[in-house]
Amino acid sequence: MSGKAGYHGKILNIDLSSGKSETMAIPREDLDLFVGGQGLGMKILWDRLKKPGVDPLSPDNLLIFMPGPFSGFPVPSSSRTCVVTKSPITAPLKSDYPHASTVTYSNMGGFFGPEIRFAGYDGLVVTGKARVLSYLVIDDGKVEIREATKFKGMRTDAFDKAFPAELGDRSFKTVYIGPAGENLVPYSSILHTAGRAAGRGGAGCVMGSKNLKAIAVRGSGQPGVADHARFLAALEKARSALYGTAYAKSWAEQGTARAIVGNSNAGTESVRNYREGTFPEADKIGGDAARRDVWVKDIACYCCPLACKKSGVTKGKYGGVVHDGPEYETGVMLGSNLMISDMPGLLKAITTLDDLGLDQISTGNVIGFLMEAYEKEMVDRKFLDGIDLKWGSVDATLAMIEKIAARDGVGRLAAKGVAALSRQIGQGSGKFAIQVKGLELAAHNIQANQPRGLSYATASRGACHMSGDNIPMQNRRAMLDSTGMCFFPTFEPALEEPMLALLSAITGREYDKAEFEKTGERIFNLEKMFNYREGFRREDDRLPDRFFEDAFTVGPRKGAVLDLAKFEAMLTQYYKDRGWDPETTKPGAAKLKELGLDLK
Amino acid sequence: MDEKESVPGEGMNLTRRDFLKGVGIGGGALVLFGQFGVHSAAWALSGEPALKMVLVDYAKCTGCRTCETACSSRNRPASVGGKEFPGLGNPRYANIRVHGFNPDVDVPVVCAMCADTPCVQACPVEPEPKTGRRALYRDPATRTIRNDVDRCLGCRSCAGACAAKRTGTITPNPETGKPERICTLCGGDPQCVKRCPFGAMSYSRSGVTGNSTASGLIK
Repeated sequence: MSGKAGYHGKILNIDLSSGKSETMAIPREDLDLFVGGQGLGMKILWDRLKKPGVDPLSPDNLLIFMPGPFSGFPVPSSSRTCVVTKSPITAPLKSDYPHASTVTYSNMGGFFGPEIRFAGYDGLVVTGKARVLSYLVIDDGKVEIREATKFKGMRTDAFDKAFPAELGDRSFKTVYIGPAGENLVPYSSILHTAGRAAGRGGAGCVMGSKNLKAIAVRGSGQPGVADHARFLAALEKARSALYGTAYAKSWAEQGTARAIVGNSNAGTESVRNYREGTFPEADKIGGDAARRDVWVKDIACYCCPLACKKSGVTKGKYGGVVHDGPEYETGVMLGSNLMISDMPGLLKAITTLDDLGLDQISTGNVIGFLMEAYEKEMVDRKFLDGIDLKWGSVDATLAMIEKIAARDGVGRLAAKGVAALSRQIGQGSGKFAIQVKGLELAAHNIQANQPRGLSYATASRGACHMSGDNIPMQNRRAMLDSTGMCFFPTFEPALEEPMLALLSAITGREYDKAEFEKTGERIFNLEKMFNYREGFRREDDRLPDRFFEDAFTVGPRKGAVLDLAKFEAMLTQYYKDRGWDPETTKPGAAKLKELGLDLK
Repeated sequence: MDEKESVPGEGMNLTRRDFLKGVGIGGGALVLFGQFGVHSAAWALSGEPALKMVLVDYAKCTGCRTCETACSSRNRPASVGGKEFPGLGNPRYANIRVHGFNPDVDVPVVCAMCADTPCVQACPVEPEPKTGRRALYRDPATRTIRNDVDRCLGCRSCAGACAAKRTGTITPNPETGKPERICTLCGGDPQCVKRCPFGAMSYSRSGVTGNSTASGLIK
């Protein structure tokens, strides 16, 4: 035990190969310097994967579930769990190591992270590989690995319904993979409550490689705080900053789906495999339409006053229960990016992806790429196993989704992502293979949004829309995702001061804006060090050619396109401002010393 | 059941149709209504004077569980430097519980303060001659149910009766068997009501409304 306020001071290690689990003390210094969540997960990965090029799907890889110092306290919107691991989908252009890849961190809401803390841990680290498909039960200090072979191939919705009966108690909080993760699709997700996912970067694939179907956690404890009275006072202020505000109500009204129409109107939406930034039919799949025709309930994560998750029902051919959606990323990646404007069809695709355990963003991107290749006759119908993969076809999209999850036929190649697909297809298709470092871009298009292009190019996990459009944003978000608080409430300026006060009161370490950002900078730099060690260089921070060649032909930003020379100049300045070598992107010794990262 | 019938309560006008619309996305919803939607119905029929209690609008509940943390914070205070403070809100110690289901239906369950108290009736402890109280009794002032832990046998009969006849809110402590999760109304300022970000709960007057047909809900 570190004895540090705000933490248990220990993580739970589970080695699935030996079946043994043990708690391990976290050095107090690591809690101060890396906080929790994304940061502390990164530090654990850095310390324990000392050799570069570890195969992400080997038993040596670590699958790390990290709450943060806010988790387990009733701090508004502090529901997040960050899953940190070595990515099975990214790769550098050149490297000395055949299995080189980036770190990945995938952040999900719900109830899992807080429950890890109730169970007495600041994180879970899973290593090794179980002999047969298994699940893990953590009940406070009791840890058990049980056989899960009877659940093999079970989809996530059915599993979510069956698992509580298996456990004999509904109070466990659970995460699990679907068939895609079991089949080792590199962009598989980890699901929670059937409708929340740690989607990006392939954490579900790593979980599958460990023969781990599910984890159930339950606990009765809670860490202490450094300053009880200050905590209560700041909690009161944090609640006041959000409760009953127009800001909170706006999230409850439409969640992120509001942006489906908004970003289309701004020319920043992914449309037709990133060819356009505006979707003339956006209103058919947007928040207003969903509120009118689909949504029945607003759903919130642990102690969140925003309730951005929406569940509902659709009718007709594609009808059924919808656990979540459309929200911005899923609605755009499976909607406008594929030219699908049929709401029930779109929601059928979204629901099926969660059910199979596939990342919505990468899958939507892969199918968009294939639709374009098919339109351009670079691939024929035979290549696609007879699927008539036309723009806007819901049936063809659903057929492709099943192929990918099963890694069947064309799905074997499509499961590897657009980088692998374009290498195989050739014919100049790399220009519209929309990925960076092997990870597909998300639902924000960038011909008219160069700063977001910087986020995609320089994010540590590959093309990430959440990383931040400039250095201060990147640093703040790396820090925020280390605390356990969600990103969405933080647009409310009134939350900042009480949030910093809460972090200080919980941990006993004084955080102001500068210290918050500095800690994030340290975390971001450690991620960069990890990637650099694997062989990632400046040429890997490259956006696909489409963004520099294909100007928008419709919408208010018609004619918009990025300028390569300007973009490269922006990148050079970015590395300099970061204190990194602009040619290799190697973090400079002075910067690392300043951040306390002069590690051996 | 009358479509327009209201669950009695101040500031609440939750009709059966609203309720079903609100949670009616899964097959489990109807059962839940029967199990948990009766809160004050018994009082409406009891002929007892009106009382105030915690009522839940299931259609507004988002499942965030803030009520659990607020309840715990108030009812499980912390001692810091010899002074008593509200606790840190560990939901393990909450009297209210939000049960989540798939499809998304979230059901906050709180002591219904039943008029006929099957829990108290099930208590086998000999009534005290002076007060007539068993270990479990109704507080005459607040009308909440209270447990005299010194006289309680930990026999779990109250929890059994609550589970069999009502909402199953009362839960025996796993070690002592003594009842937990009985609503205290927080001294007249229920924290679950105060802290719910979505206005899903109210502290409402309940009693005879004159036209209740809620008896159909009671087994």
